Amino acid sequence: MAELQRDPISRAQFLMMGIVGSLVGAVLTIPPAVYVLSPTIQTNFQGRSDIPDEWIEAGSVWEIPSGAPMEFRVEFSQKQTYDAGQPGAEEEPSPEGVPPNVGTAINTVLVSWRDGKLPGVLEDNRGTQTLSASEVEELSRRINVLSNHCAHLGCPTRWQAEKGLIVCPCHGGEYDINGHYRAGPPPHGLFRFAYEIREDGGLYVKHDFTNGRPWVV
Amino acid sequence: MIARIKSRTREVGQNLADWMEERTGIVSMTETFLFEPVPSKGKWLYTLGSATLFLITLQFLTGILLLFYYAPTTDEAWDSIYYIMTEAYFGQFIRGIHFWSANILIVVIGLHMVRTFFSGSYKAPREMNWVVGVVLILLVTILAFTGYALRWDQEGFWAWEVGIKIGSYTPFIGQYVATFLLGGDTAGPATLSRIFAIHVWLLPALLAPLIGVHLYLLRKHGEFGAEFEYSKRLSELRERRQIEEYSSYTEGEGSLEDGGDSQG
Repeated sequence: MAELQRDPISRAQFLMMGIVGSLVGAVLTIPPAVYVLSPTIQTNFQGRSDIPDEWIEAGSVWEIPSGAPMEFRVEFSQKQTYDAGQPGAEEEPSPEGVPPNVGTAINTVLVSWRDGKLPGVLEDNRGTQTLSASEVEELSRRINVLSNHCAHLGCPTRWQAEKGLIVCPCHGGEYDINGHYRAGPPPHGLFRFAYEIREDGGLYVKHDFTNGRPWVV
Repeated sequence: MIARIKSRTREVGQNLADWMEERTGIVSMTETFLFEPVPSKGKWLYTLGSATLFLITLQFLTGILLLFYYAPTTDEAWDSIYYIMTEAYFGQFIRGIHFWSANILIVVIGLHMVRTFFSGSYKAPREMNWVVGVVLILLVTILAFTGYALRWDQEGFWAWEVGIKIGSYTPFIGQYVATFLLGGDTAGPATLSRIFAIHVWLLPALLAPLIGVHLYLLRKHGEFGAEFEYSKRLSELRERRQIEEYSSYTEGEGSLEDGGDSQG
């Protein structure tokens, strides 16, 4: 009877099997999983971005009309897999001045004045090209610098003058001129670019958003 | 004369089949794989599974052919497809088969699923085959979606963007799903590489063995209702029962005789 009750393997052998099995399992699964998940680890845990942290000129505040947003096309340099290694790596530009192995991510930026009203600063200074620090501050408070990607599923939105709204063609999301949510399925207003206005009236944007990440181009 | 040629041809064919059967077992294997009794009611509807398998095979074959020209890079993906469509001989034909059979595949799978549901083929003991079938339809849907994006044209690109945004709404892990699918935090070359790897390697590698499991389970249990309706199987069953009864009778008689001898 005692012979029958005896385990075929001892407790120590069982634990050793478990440890060895776990180690072999880890060696077989962790490297491929981490390999495939590299972009997730780098983006979500290390804060890496495919777009270098740099200001790109979108246009000039003098161009933005009243009553409607203006569309600016911005081309950010993009470094992703074979479009170059880590951002900030030393690279020799080509004779034409183009950095090697750098792709681009083209974004459309919708820029409007708050409620569509031209700031008094611009009306007064029409024709002048330099702005004082207080004027820059005033304009920065009055400007909307929006991503045209719908906050719902990322489709490119556009201004519909007859409605006086920014409208998404995919599922009918609607936003007012300030990019605030008006109707349809989007969970919130349009994504807002980080921006700065310089003394010459130049509007610069970063591929950085102040209200979440659009996860698109 | 014609009759003699016919009989001679049949004889040669029979000899060839016997020769192959003896060495490889291919004839009996083919019979095992191809012949499955189905209920007489709605018999043509039972070909939808085979039609699905045929279309998936077509996808594999034409997909391999497309790989001879397709370049999975953001700069060249669309151009390579344009080349296939305009320059490569029969390129339009091969890609047309891949494209249209993919579309038809989704419809046929849907019909196959409807037939399975309404014929009650998901019921015990066939539940696992239903589950495997559901996994298969999910894999095929993802295959169709990734294939759509591989063109890297406006339509495919924006469909994929929308797909990633949908993925980003996954509770708790949405942002990880998005960066995994994008290969970073923006859509770019890594995104296309990932779509390509998923479409061409990962999903087919999962699909093929699951199709094997699906077929194995079908063969294991047979079509639901077939055992009640298929006359040949029924007659075989009767015959088997008769043999069993007869053998039990003769065995019983034998044991009686044995007992009689020992007593005597």
